[in-house]
Amino acid sequence: MKTRLPEHGPLETPQYWRTLEERLETPEAQRAAHDEFLPGAAPGTFDDVHGLPPSQSGFSRRDFLGLVSATAALAATVACDRKGQGTVVPYTRRPVEVVPGVANYYASAFQEGRRVYPVLVKTREGRPIHLTGNDEHPGVKGKTSPRTMADVLRLYDPDRLRAPKAGGRTLGWAEAESQLHAVLTGAKATGKPVLLISGAVVSPTRKALLADLKAALPTLEHLAFEPAAGDAAEEAAKASYGQAVDLQPRLAKAKVILSLGADFLNGEDPESLAAWGAKRRLKNAHEAINRLWVLEGPLTLTGTNADQRVPVAPSRLGAVAFALAKELSTKAVSLPAGADLSAIAVGVPQGVDIPAETWSNLVKDLQHAGRNAVVLCGAQMPAEVHQAAHLLNAMLGSEAVAVRAAEPLATVKDLEGAVQGMAAGHYAALIFWDVNPAYAFPRAAAWQEAVAKVPFRAWIGQVEDETAAQCQVLLPENHWLENWGDFTTEHAEVLQQPTIGTLYDTRQGEDVFLGVIRALGGHAPASYHVYLQGRWQQTLPLGTTFEQALHDGLVTSESKAATPAFKGASVAAAAQHAAASKSEGLELVLFPGFATHDGRHANNSWLQETPDPITKMTWDNPVSVSVQDAKALGIQEGDFVTLSLEGATLRLPAVIQPGQAKGVITLALGYGRTTGGVAKGVGANAYPFMGLDPTRANVRGGARLAKAGGKKDLSRTQSHHRMEGRDIVRSLTMDEFAHNPKGHYHMPELVSLYEDQTFPDHKWGMVIDLAACVGCSACVVACQSENNVPVVGPEQVARGREMHWIRIDRYYEGELENPKVVHQPMLCQHCDNAPCENVCPVNATNHSPDGLNQMAYNRCVGTRYCGNNCPYKVRRFNFLEYTAYKTEPEILVNNPEVTVRPRGVMEKCSFCVQRINDVKIRAKGDGRAILDGEVTTACMAGCPSDAIVFGDLKDPKSKVAQLVNASRAYRVLEEVGAKPAITYLADLKNPAVEGGPHAS
Amino acid sequence: MHRFDRAFRFVLPAAAVAILATVLSVGWFTQPDRFAKGYAPEQPIPFSHELHAGTLRMQCQYCHSGVDKSRHAGIPSVDLCMGCHKVTKTDRPAIQKLAQIANSGQPLPWQRVHTLPDHVFFDHRPHVNAGIACQSCHGEVQTMKVVTREMGMRMGNCLGCHRDPHAALPTGSKITKGAEHCAACHR
Repeated sequence: MKTRLPEHGPLETPQYWRTLEERLETPEAQRAAHDEFLPGAAPGTFDDVHGLPPSQSGFSRRDFLGLVSATAALAATVACDRKGQGTVVPYTRRPVEVVPGVANYYASAFQEGRRVYPVLVKTREGRPIHLTGNDEHPGVKGKTSPRTMADVLRLYDPDRLRAPKAGGRTLGWAEAESQLHAVLTGAKATGKPVLLISGAVVSPTRKALLADLKAALPTLEHLAFEPAAGDAAEEAAKASYGQAVDLQPRLAKAKVILSLGADFLNGEDPESLAAWGAKRRLKNAHEAINRLWVLEGPLTLTGTNADQRVPVAPSRLGAVAFALAKELSTKAVSLPAGADLSAIAVGVPQGVDIPAETWSNLVKDLQHAGRNAVVLCGAQMPAEVHQAAHLLNAMLGSEAVAVRAAEPLATVKDLEGAVQGMAAGHYAALIFWDVNPAYAFPRAAAWQEAVAKVPFRAWIGQVEDETAAQCQVLLPENHWLENWGDFTTEHAEVLQQPTIGTLYDTRQGEDVFLGVIRALGGHAPASYHVYLQGRWQQTLPLGTTFEQALHDGLVTSESKAATPAFKGASVAAAAQHAAASKSEGLELVLFPGFATHDGRHANNSWLQETPDPITKMTWDNPVSVSVQDAKALGIQEGDFVTLSLEGATLRLPAVIQPGQAKGVITLALGYGRTTGGVAKGVGANAYPFMGLDPTRANVRGGARLAKAGGKKDLSRTQSHHRMEGRDIVRSLTMDEFAHNPKGHYHMPELVSLYEDQTFPDHKWGMVIDLAACVGCSACVVACQSENNVPVVGPEQVARGREMHWIRIDRYYEGELENPKVVHQPMLCQHCDNAPCENVCPVNATNHSPDGLNQMAYNRCVGTRYCGNNCPYKVRRFNFLEYTAYKTEPEILVNNPEVTVRPRGVMEKCSFCVQRINDVKIRAKGDGRAILDGEVTTACMAGCPSDAIVFGDLKDPKSKVAQLVNASRAYRVLEEVGAKPAITYLADLKNPAVEGGPHAS
Repeated sequence: MHRFDRAFRFVLPAAAVAILATVLSVGWFTQPDRFAKGYAPEQPIPFSHELHAGTLRMQCQYCHSGVDKSRHAGIPSVDLCMGCHKVTKTDRPAIQKLAQIANSGQPLPWQRVHTLPDHVFFDHRPHVNAGIACQSCHGEVQTMKVVTREMGMRMGNCLGCHRDPHAALPTGSKITKGAEHCAACHR
């Protein structure tokens, strides 16, 4: 590390670290900290510009001079000819709502598993280009998930199947459908069953359609397959409530939250994140804050935001949770009728390392909070942990979780049953609808063998996948942005509408099934649109038209269904199970990938390149090993290891994960696809490790790990952009916040040789509240979509050349075994005295009169001096041509308001200047001032916990101007005098203090 | 003769003249503005602004309706032309061609006359809303049979007006300056 400036630096700061090498101060880390670019990021020699070995890019001086003179001659010749200026093609008939150059917004919705995301789709000239949450929806309130935002890219995926196919031959819909109809008519006549496998059904109209289909084809069997939903959660719900349920946390009502491996802050659930943010954006220490307890094996994003976190192996979580219930039952929190906990001993279970003080604090917290406490369980945890969580919520009478009846999902057991049925020749036909069991079923070989015994297999989907390879007839499906649909959510019935005509000769799956119903002699309307609208017209509330519902994207309705009751009698068996549960050897936890989910997003390059919030890995799923196990096995970062479990073996790289419980290894699902231009060959497929026992399919004991020799150059963004040990992130406990919010940081008076900048009208600024930021990376994806940020691929990321304008830095503090974690979004700070501006030889980057650090791409000559001089490491250089070679359909997703940057120029966050200018011009046209909150940057609009606030610092009434003076406010590297326009508010942790207040 | 005399008297001046001539001629031939002015391509339909905007005194915004709502003024859609030409002058071959395009829905590729260099995001709205006449940049379009480019539309044209806009602004306008920072147009 470089020496900290003694008189300017903080006097006493906690030591944060980003990587293990840095923490242990290895020579490599010290060298890396000293160098500006990673080895290989900046070209070493002239010959190395392509990142190719010199022999391939050999380019002599003679060649160079020859080319230069030829270019000059060519330029002179070309300039002598008058060039055409291109053509302008107007609409023949302009749709009334379209004004070229003006965006239109439509409400629609996206479904992922059982979760529904109501969205607003921004379209330009009829092309969807950007997604945000639907602000009319009372639950999500304008927010959505990173994967939802990125899904607009999938619409323009060049790998999409463009016409029906049979036996490798492209054919028309009529012919393809007639093949399907003939088989199904035959099946109906002979009475042989037909198996339909689809995703989760949360749409009332889709449910009705399936019922109609069943009526037309009585032998139809249906399985709703969601490989990432967590079979154990499904099994536990059946035991605890007697039916499938959907648990939605209501964190606004929670004072104490106990997470048993639940990752509810991972960006998937905008509603929880909004509630979390609201409870954390404190103005002063007297405001109410919640407390998050996390007991978990892997380090999840929720765990990184915990006030108090204890690493516990998932196999022991059940015992711990039931022991908590037992302890609470001895303290006047009554057990539900019929609940029997005699199998459980009082106190911390044996073999679990929870300090007595922590345990008693946790018990007290839950007891005092009562109805305002909630226990949440991770979907992948064993069934008994779920049941313990259900029990605890029932005991506490928790109001902070809504239990709703849901449509059941097929577990791995149901799939196994289907495989046996197929193998036995039970089925006449198989229809796969937007599912990929050939990839996601654990026993892939058995699956393939069984499927081959079914005489007819049809596939409905978007991109040919592993399952499509086993089918005779492939029917291309619309992207959801081309579809009609509807969904039931807790607060509203949500509509999905097409925002673009179909790009290719595709149809929506429902239309195929309507065709089947007609072919089988049933009665069905001509299209799903008519079918859906007909049903909606009957149920619309008085005074609401279908057009109004489409405009809003929803009709609000409170769920009428009765809350399923908890069955106390289910407790005894689960408690016995939990008490007996032991982990043997290493325990493998399989969880859905942050980027890929169950594998369906694997072909999305935006998501593949978004760094995992914890490991900061891109384009891969290495196995995460705890610090203790890595030491015992002699594994180092990036070492190839062999992971084996019951016959399944994988060779894959390992990363060492601080905070992960000893004996636990984790691996993300959704990688290792064998099809798709982006997805193919990225990472390894973890599904073969999934268990066939649905109660613990994702947590597998007895895994073996061994070094396999060799090391992988990890495409990891973590070790780049290091911060040289300065006081970059600040984290306060509530006690410190109450008594000494500025901490022990000493700020010297800043003297500048330059004249102060003046800002006549506006001074744009931003405040980022680290207490509300959970690190979910929604801002990263929102920025990528808004600003045409290119994807560079794994090799370039490994060289430190990723292009994201905003990144999330993740800092660890304290013990390797259970560190505290702080996430910090880092983007261009738009400094008043910007160090990058002074050094640009061509004045391509300079300051605007409204406080923006502007970047003129056409002036930039690519010296990279600015990037070198930026203390925040937020400038990005286009080392290669990343975008310009692209063609349709990929370029259709670009935002036409932002330049697509060519090779050789610097770029960086612009504070979404295109949005600022647009609002300015509109306000000027209306003859009014800009309103506070009218200008939103993409990251701010995308942030589900509202941690980012943007506005005009010159307006004293603006939200941002008030926040910059908050007691938690600080600016990063303030002491260097760059005067950044971004203010951070220190992170807050609310740990239980002995003798301190317990939430009540 | 000193052995360098020849070099100083002939070779050096000749070389200097040759270099200067090369620089000037390459500069002249490659200057971007050279062919910008006076560019008047033939259009697929011989539309006359002189007739429509001049003689018939139609407002520019009747056809270029996006100009105060959008960055782009917009080229009118074919059905807008047909609003009148369903009944007007249907005997002219150009109008028959137009009608055929309107009915068939084929694209009508107008030749672009006014273009801006790359990386420029010009916005019509603030200019039109400030009362600047279209003619300030596009020339006296109402007198043009064939639209001809009268301004090079280089950054110098923009900045000249932004630094001293009073000639282009209507009398009584309170605006004294236009934006001069990069991000106003480049982003």
